Amino acid sequence: MSFKSAVITFPGSNCDRDALVYLKTLTSGEVLNIWHEENSLPNVDLVIVPGGFSFGDYLRSGAMASKSKIINDLINHSKKGGYILGICNGFQILSEIGLLKGALIQNNRLKFLGKNCFIKKKYQSDFNCLINKDQVLKIPVAHNEGNFYCDDSDLKYLHDNELIAFEYCEGKFSNSIANINGSIDNIAGITNKDKNILGMMPHPERAFQNFHSSQDGKLILESLLS
Amino acid sequence: MNEDLIKQHGLTIDEFKIIHKYLKRDLSIEELGIFSAMWNEHCCYKTSKKWLKKLPTENNIVIQGPGENAGIIDLKDNDGIAFKIESHNHPSYIEPFNGSATGVGGILRDIFTMGARPIATLDSIRFGDITTDKTKYLLNGVVHGIGHYGNCIGIPNIGGECEFDSSYDYNNLVNAMAIGHVKNDRIFYSKPKTIGGLIVYIGSKTGKDGIHGASMASDVFSEDDEDEKRPSVQVGDPFMEKLLMEGCLELMSSGLIESMQDMGAAGITSSSVEMASKGEVGVLINLDKIPLREPLSPYEILLSESQERMLAVIEPENNEKVKSILKRWQIDYEVIGEITDTKRVVFSSNNKNVVDLPVNIIVDDAPEYDREFYIPKKRKINDFELSNLNIENMVENLFQNLNYLEKSWVFNQYDSTVMGDTINEPGQSSGIVKLHDSDKVIGATTDCNPLYIRINPEKGMEYTVLESYRNLVCSNLKPLAITNNLNFASPLDPNIMGEIVLSINGLRKSASQLDTPIVSGNVSLYNQTNDRPIKPTPVIGMVGFNDNYENIISNKFQNESDLIILIGNSMSKNNSPYFLQDQHIVKKVTQFNELIDINYDLEKKNIKILYNVFDHNLVTSCNDISRGGVFLTLIKMLQNNYGFNINIKDKFDIFCEYQAGYILTINKNDYGSIKNIFEKNQIEYQNIGEVSKESIEINSKKFDYFKILNDYLNNFEKIIN
Repeated sequence: MSFKSAVITFPGSNCDRDALVYLKTLTSGEVLNIWHEENSLPNVDLVIVPGGFSFGDYLRSGAMASKSKIINDLINHSKKGGYILGICNGFQILSEIGLLKGALIQNNRLKFLGKNCFIKKKYQSDFNCLINKDQVLKIPVAHNEGNFYCDDSDLKYLHDNELIAFEYCEGKFSNSIANINGSIDNIAGITNKDKNILGMMPHPERAFQNFHSSQDGKLILESLLS
Repeated sequence: MNEDLIKQHGLTIDEFKIIHKYLKRDLSIEELGIFSAMWNEHCCYKTSKKWLKKLPTENNIVIQGPGENAGIIDLKDNDGIAFKIESHNHPSYIEPFNGSATGVGGILRDIFTMGARPIATLDSIRFGDITTDKTKYLLNGVVHGIGHYGNCIGIPNIGGECEFDSSYDYNNLVNAMAIGHVKNDRIFYSKPKTIGGLIVYIGSKTGKDGIHGASMASDVFSEDDEDEKRPSVQVGDPFMEKLLMEGCLELMSSGLIESMQDMGAAGITSSSVEMASKGEVGVLINLDKIPLREPLSPYEILLSESQERMLAVIEPENNEKVKSILKRWQIDYEVIGEITDTKRVVFSSNNKNVVDLPVNIIVDDAPEYDREFYIPKKRKINDFELSNLNIENMVENLFQNLNYLEKSWVFNQYDSTVMGDTINEPGQSSGIVKLHDSDKVIGATTDCNPLYIRINPEKGMEYTVLESYRNLVCSNLKPLAITNNLNFASPLDPNIMGEIVLSINGLRKSASQLDTPIVSGNVSLYNQTNDRPIKPTPVIGMVGFNDNYENIISNKFQNESDLIILIGNSMSKNNSPYFLQDQHIVKKVTQFNELIDINYDLEKKNIKILYNVFDHNLVTSCNDISRGGVFLTLIKMLQNNYGFNINIKDKFDIFCEYQAGYILTINKNDYGSIKNIFEKNQIEYQNIGEVSKESIEINSKKFDYFKILNDYLNNFEKIIN
């Protein structure tokens, strides 16, 4: 069965091409690029909401993009059980829409952070089923607002329903710290209750080619395809 | 016209007389503004032109040398690389965040104006004494600004340099370099072709920011200037630049554009004059049509340096198509004039011509000076007393110097992996990116050795070029071409002028020797506050190439027990300026010995042998030796808890600088093959030790591995906080 997918581009998206390459390299089906002003999404298995600075992120990150025309149909897509992967700014947008719990606030060290980070799987979903428990993935992050925050009841909800997909952890090199940005419970990525939507701050689409510093990002898409 | 007004516009009375004699009439205030913008150092290189002309700028791979928005070199198969470096020193001192951000924005526009998609940026930043709050504020603001602009627009920052020296206390340096990938049959130039072609304005609305920015950048500062000059600093909007970049690249790939020029320094004035001059045509522009953010006078419109604006020429029949593409990108667009055959630059407002000048007086008659310069005196020969130094305190001294510590605090604020093609991230000898949809890779580095250049401007510059060259070679890249950013203090001082002349001469020599032409560049003079000049800082950016990313050699250790091989000659304890400075032996520039002569034969011989052993797959990692000597090179090669165990007979040679110096690691089983190749080619080499795990041992002295690693990786952040 061929796996169809799409990437939404907003003005200011800058990882849309990277996401398209990620999909084209690792899937065999059609890969479409959808402009934010479209009214409807084509019938696809997966939609990636990519990273970047949608609309400049001059308001809260992702807030403007969450009001784009295409969002209504993105919500429909999720209701029908279609997969959505929000990466970085995409995660922020999904939070702003309300498809995911919590919010991404400014990094605790108040600075943009661009480097490799280390994550591991917390609870199982279709997005990480090929990843072993305790397997450490090395994947780059690049964000200013990646500090995941939610209130106690939402945090309990995320744990009770096993919705935390990834958490930051220590790497192999002696100098790495686990929690790079202040996120509650080291949260690096979460799913919705039906587990068909994943939002994550690390960029798997920058860690899959043989010339990248890691190929661990493959595992997320490959999990979905398995 | 009154003299004060002329001086306020940065023109000398003599310069004004030239204009007056030519025009035989008085100037309008707008016209005076135009000369102020076009005849300053920043735009017309009046001090440096005479010397810059001597630089080698051509060879068989140069498609475009200096004189356009960026230089372009040929990488075959229709692939080209456009690149340039530019300074934003003065604005970044006055307002570090916006000053540095717009520096990045400006250099990116220079790249995509030519039809190239930017694929990487680098930076070269220098600050004063870090212990002052002022320097910390500047450092924070500059790094934040560079990061913010590049991160938002989504171009990876792949490397650069960051140095501290008290000569930059009141005049920090911010140089930004950008590299773009272009298809050689789709390069766009600023030269218009069609008489009657429409001149169109694309991008942000015009406001008051940056008025007189270019002439400010050509001025000496006084300390109380900062607040007064702040309104001259432009404000950047990277989101708008992203839209502008995508919009312009789409217009160009759709074949809708005839020529394009970005509105950089001196805004619409310099961009329109440039176009008229290149095309040997005239321009007629109606200032009332310019999209404005706020009400502005014609004078202000002409001199505004509002960011994210482009000027393009299109054929009239393409107007509607251009409009609809730019509308989709939500970019302002207006037809503001046309190309004429008058060879005059005419700006009108309210049906009146406020400017009407022949192009050639502005461009061709721009002043050119041959300023007086002094050549530095010969130095005495000293033998320095070093008996207090042992390996332990030499290591300690190095780690006390901020300049040698890992600067991830800086480059972790930059997105270095966006676009998905990054191979070498910052913190390595060069940044490396792959061309999209191709196996070809481009590496780049920025460098300057201000101390060497202060000691001997000519040789110091040659060493700077060689250092860049080695930075690229050690990753198995073939260095191709250079962009330069000549930062100096006031050329009115003959000593400084001597530094300028001699270092350009050094650049000429080394670029000719190494066949790396200079294809673009920038000059920033008057980098001094009152009587305090900066150290001469002619920064170069060098670009190198390999046709397959799989050939790239890592700068980091790969396997335990690999042998560590040293090639190159130590410059020796008496003749290694950074060593003597770092070990607190020499405190005054006047006390150093003369720099030893450059040995191009040795450099070339070692480069050739490296390519040879790389091709034979005999090398597991390689790095070049620069400041901090063998020791610091090895420290930079650490990763994954690898360490090293080495022995070098003369302990000073562990910390001295080297000529043609490289460290390579090889698998033990390959030692015989390497030995054969080296001996057959008469290469002097030393097997100095091997890669270990979690240990550092030098001449049988054991060091605390984790303390050293921790100091190297974390001390920078501790010091600046």
